[in-house]
Amino acid sequence: MNNCDQFRELIEAYALGALDPEERAALEAHLATGCSDCTKAAEEARWLVSQLAYVAPEASPSDMLKGRLMQTVRAEAPSQAKPRVLPAKSSIPFWLWAGVAALLVFSIYSAWNTRRLENEIREANERAAVLRSEGEKTAQDLALAKREAMILMDPNSVKIALKSGNAQGPQLEAKWHSQLGVVVMGENIPMPSPHHVLQLWFIPKAPGKMPMPSMMIRPDANGKFVLLVSNPPESMDATKALAISEEPEGGSAWPSNPPRYSGGVS
Amino acid sequence: MFLAAFTSSSPREVSLDATLLSRLLQKDVSAFEQLYDRHSRLVYGLVLRILQQASTSEEVVQDVFLQLWRNADQYDSSRGPFVPWLCTMARNRALDQLRLKSERQRRREDQPAELPSVVVAPDYEKALDEKRRAERVRTLMASLTPQQKKAIELAYFEGLSHSEIAATLKEPLGTVKSWIRNGLLRLKEGLRATT
Repeated sequence: MNNCDQFRELIEAYALGALDPEERAALEAHLATGCSDCTKAAEEARWLVSQLAYVAPEASPSDMLKGRLMQTVRAEAPSQAKPRVLPAKSSIPFWLWAGVAALLVFSIYSAWNTRRLENEIREANERAAVLRSEGEKTAQDLALAKREAMILMDPNSVKIALKSGNAQGPQLEAKWHSQLGVVVMGENIPMPSPHHVLQLWFIPKAPGKMPMPSMMIRPDANGKFVLLVSNPPESMDATKALAISEEPEGGSAWPSNPPRYSGGVS
Repeated sequence: MFLAAFTSSSPREVSLDATLLSRLLQKDVSAFEQLYDRHSRLVYGLVLRILQQASTSEEVVQDVFLQLWRNADQYDSSRGPFVPWLCTMARNRALDQLRLKSERQRRREDQPAELPSVVVAPDYEKALDEKRRAERVRTLMASLTPQQKKAIELAYFEGLSHSEIAATLKEPLGTVKSWIRNGLLRLKEGLRATT
C-alpha cells in the first residue's frame, strides 16, 4: 500500500465529516502536498456525500418564510434592479391580504361580541341568583309562617303566659306543640338597653340543672315580635318554665340578668 | 465558464439554474424567488431532518437563502455544481445549530468552512432531474445494510464522528469505519451503475 492508498481509504469519511481529528489532520496534510489524485477523489467524495441530502424527505416550508425572505430581499435589492424575464410577483397575493384583513376584522368583532354576550350572561345569572335567593327566602318565610300558624291553632298546643314583674307591663304568650316547636309572641315590648338583646331561656325541671339558652328576640319598632323555636333544647315534660332576660348583644351561655318575663309550663 | 459549474443536473435544469444565478448576480429579485421555489423543499427537508424542529429549521433555511442572495458573487464554477453546494451549505448551518442546541459548541476542526469546499461531479454522473435523482439515492440507501445506513445517517444528519458513532452504537471503532466506508462505496457504485 503506497501513501496515497492509505489516505484514499479515508477520503469518503473525510467528505462526510466523520474523521476523528488525528486522521483528518493527517489527510489534510497529505492534500496540502498537492496530490492531484487524492484532491480529485476528495472533490468527488464531497459530491457523493452531497447526494445524501436526497435521503431526507422533501418538506414544504411555510408561506411565511418565503414572505419574510422576499420582504428582506426586496428591501435590499437596488432600485434599478428589475426582473428581466418574469415579473416579480408578491409572495402573498392581494386576495390573501384581503382575507387576512377580513379575518382580523371578524376576529375583533367576534371577541367584542363574545365579551358582550359573556357580560349579559353573567348579569342574567346574577339576576337569576338574586331571584332564586329571594324565592328561597320567601319559601322559607312561608314555611315558617305556616308552621307558626299550625302551632298557634293546634288545640294540642300548650299555652304559656310569660308575665313581667310589673303588673302594668306587657304580657307575652307562648304556645308549645310537642312536635312542631314553640312560638313566642308579644306586643308593646320595651326595647332592650343599647347593645343588649332579649334572650329566651328554657328552665329545666331537674334540680340544679342550668337554664338552657335559646334564641334572641328582636321586637320591631312597635315592640312587636313573633318567634318560632323549631327545636326547643328541652322537651315540654322536662321543662319547668320559659323565661326572657336582657343579655349583652350576641346572647349569653347562662343568664346574666334576672328574667324580665317568665311563665311556667303546666 | 460559469455554466460549466452545473454539470450535475439535467441540461435543461442546469441551464435554468445557471440563468437564474447569473441574474442573481445582478440582484434580480425574481431570479431569487425562482431559485427559492425550485430548491427550498429539498433544502428545508434536509434541515428539518437534521434539526427535527420546524421553527428552527425555517430560521436556518432563511439564513441559507439570504446568504445566497447576499453572497451570490462569491459563488463561481470552482465551487462545483449549485444544488450540492447549496445542500452542503444548508447541512453545515443545520449541524452548527444542532451543536449549539445540544450545547456541544466545541468547534471541530474538521468542520467545513463558511462556504463549502470544492465539489466536483464525477464523470459517470449524467443528467438527471431532481425527482429521479432523489428516487435513485433513496433506493440505493435502502439497499445498504441497516448498520451501514444507520452509521452514515448518524454522520450525515447528526454530524457525529467515527468515535462518536462507535460510542452511540456501542460498536468497535474499526467496525463503524468499515460500515461507513463500505456503505459509501456501495452507494457510489450504485450511482455509477444506474447512470
